[in-house]
Amino acid sequence: MQKISTKNKNRPKNLNLFTIRLPINAVVSILHRASGMALFAMLPLLLLALQYSLKSQQSYTQLEALFDTWFIKLVLIGLAWAFFHHFFAGLRHLLQDIHWMTSLQKARFSGRVVLWLVGISVAIFAVVIW
Amino acid sequence: MLIQLLTNKYPGMRLWLSQRLSALMMAAYILLLVLLLAIYQPASYSDWHKFVAPIWFRLVTFVFFISLFMHAWLGVSDVFKDYIFNLKLRAYLQAIVDILLVTYLIWASFILWNI
Repeated sequence: MQKISTKNKNRPKNLNLFTIRLPINAVVSILHRASGMALFAMLPLLLLALQYSLKSQQSYTQLEALFDTWFIKLVLIGLAWAFFHHFFAGLRHLLQDIHWMTSLQKARFSGRVVLWLVGISVAIFAVVIW
Repeated sequence: MLIQLLTNKYPGMRLWLSQRLSALMMAAYILLLVLLLAIYQPASYSDWHKFVAPIWFRLVTFVFFISLFMHAWLGVSDVFKDYIFNLKLRAYLQAIVDILLVTYLIWASFILWNI
């Protein structure tokens, strides 16, 4: 086995974010992580919305009016994107855990399927709430 | 084999498995929720209240929240381990996330118990 050297400081490396082109598997993977963090950041607002929707008739009506503004609708569409991406990419990871479609070619294909499913789901969500 | 993997010899395996199991529980709950919403289509406060009120629904929702906060804890911890190299800073951030998630769990149970 060839010894992997960590001492060679002259190895070529490219960390320029503008010239790195991520392959589709890396794109799906990093977006899975980013959407997870976004969902984590939104947790308190979601709990707040759940609380207000159940507290009283009055708070329910207020929440309904709030959700009717275009800005909140855009936020909800962003949230829906994070949810759908995390959901579908997560299912893909679970299937890969049980060794389903793990060759490079098949993984690329399932990555494309995930991105399509996310796009279609977000579009349907946007149409329904608008 | 599985038992051996889950003992103290490989503590990471338990985290790995918890992440997957909580993901499966959440996926099952989401599918159930979407199905129920499609069937009942609650469109007013009283409909929505009736939708959430059954004790079994509140229980499965509580199980969902436990899975969600567990899953969030595992995911955020992984992100911290990957990107935050200052151990002291990482420990502080992790403690904040721990406190937040425990607060969310108490909050969620408060919401569900007071319907």
